[in-house]
Amino acid sequence: MTTETKKIVLKGRKVIGGVAEGEALVSKVPLMGWLNVNPQLGCTTERNHPLCGVSFKGKILVFPTPRGSGGFVSYGRTIAFGTNPAAFVYTKGNNLTVFAAMNAGVPTVTELDQDPVEVIETGDFVRVDGDRGIVEVYKK
Amino acid sequence: MYLSDEEKRILDGAQGEIAQRCMTFLRDYGEAAGAEKLVDIDGTVDVHPMADWVPQYAVTVDEVRALAAKGEKFKVPTFANKPVAPGFIIDGWETCGLPRNSDAEFHRKNLEILQPYMDMGMIPIFSCNYYLVSSFLPTVGQHSAWVESSAIPWANAILGARTNFDGCFHTAYLGKVPFYDMHLDENRKATLLVRCETELKSDMDYDLFGWAVGEAADIEVPAIVGIGKPTTSQLVKMNSALNTGGQVRMYHVPGLTPEAPTLEAAFKGNYQREISITRDDLRRVYEKLTYSTNENVDFVYLGCPHYTIEEVHRVAKMLDGKKVKTTLMVMTNPSSYQVADRMGLRATIEKAGAKLLSGSCLGALMELPAGKVMATDAAKQDYYLTGMCYPEKLDVWYGTMEDCINAAVSGKWAGVWR
Repeated sequence: MTTETKKIVLKGRKVIGGVAEGEALVSKVPLMGWLNVNPQLGCTTERNHPLCGVSFKGKILVFPTPRGSGGFVSYGRTIAFGTNPAAFVYTKGNNLTVFAAMNAGVPTVTELDQDPVEVIETGDFVRVDGDRGIVEVYKK
Repeated sequence: MYLSDEEKRILDGAQGEIAQRCMTFLRDYGEAAGAEKLVDIDGTVDVHPMADWVPQYAVTVDEVRALAAKGEKFKVPTFANKPVAPGFIIDGWETCGLPRNSDAEFHRKNLEILQPYMDMGMIPIFSCNYYLVSSFLPTVGQHSAWVESSAIPWANAILGARTNFDGCFHTAYLGKVPFYDMHLDENRKATLLVRCETELKSDMDYDLFGWAVGEAADIEVPAIVGIGKPTTSQLVKMNSALNTGGQVRMYHVPGLTPEAPTLEAAFKGNYQREISITRDDLRRVYEKLTYSTNENVDFVYLGCPHYTIEEVHRVAKMLDGKKVKTTLMVMTNPSSYQVADRMGLRATIEKAGAKLLSGSCLGALMELPAGKVMATDAAKQDYYLTGMCYPEKLDVWYGTMEDCINAAVSGKWAGVWR
């Protein structure tokens, strides 16, 4: 990190503990699961979605909310194929996002003091501390 | 998360290793979700047979078999939604035309695996809209654990029961579920007022309206006014689209849904914003769901969510004396399949060359009829099947039941926006 890099710290609630860091992949619109996520390929397959076909493997996947079926859990089933995100950060979820996070077992934080979808941009370097509920953002 | 002394004993293994694992799942899930405690289920559980939310806590078929052999039962009334792991057709599979599903051994094996769950008390309704035919439902305020997109808002909004999307073996076996989100009064208040400014007439109108509201409301609770007097089928479609186009688990329609007789009661001081849905919004969704330029249709899929007996009746009337040129699948729940059979509707549909099936859907089967161009009257199936086929392209036409049946009979799509 260069000294000019702007650092922003968000504080939220732990869903799954652990620490991960990497490049952010931000979905400005909700993510849909079930057949509109492909765990083998590690990407959303929803037609019209800005991230359709874009791999989230190893990324800090940032999104506002889930939508659609309980098959949202497949975002976490990616762990079986090694295509899983390194961490999840989301604005507001429910049991769909919780189950996805439990499946992947990767650091996950939600209900932050600033909206992560507004603050974080794709390509920013992000460090997620699940245990402390802290998300550090280093702007690109 | 707080656990009672009894819950702690189960967690420590006092009721055996399976109960311990189920309690471990509920504790870990509750903690990840931020729940303060568990609540006893006084309503019902609805499960996708064989599906586990988190594999690390899975209870295997052999373990269930052993429990059933000991005479163990589910603690609360437990209903089977459609099987999804794998999905399979309950009725009509013999002539469904799908290679995997028309295999007798595949069918026999899948049913056999479910037997111990039924021995433990799982009621085999096998339908996404099992709530229409189950003959037993939770009442206002009862804590439940259900599954399935259209069923969740049905439980919360239409019945006034309280559920998240978390029905599974574990909740049914222990009769408990984490107490948070839709179980709490504060999360059931509306924040968003939705004014419907177009007259909703057809089933398709309600499907499109549900999607438009879902997109706008996202995970908020809307209070909706101006939707007239929907039929049962229209409500099922609207609920399915609300929870596919968005994440609407709960809503209020003053005068229709039980929890809020007035707008004031719906918001309880929580009003934040309002939107209007017009004919233009429905048209925008219609165009989003239309994903084909090839007018030659290969197969037509009806029955998402599972068609009610009234819809099967309408299909039979339209097909009477006609012959289809494309594959036409009409999916209903197994209960209505029996009624349709008794009424002679199955015979009429089959005489036209179409297939009446029960208990699954193309998305759950993960197997499509031959072809690249589909037509359907369901926003949910429309929008998921293209994702299932990715990166292959599946063309999808969207329209009314009538548009779809006309396409099956002529082989050409002629549906237009009305």
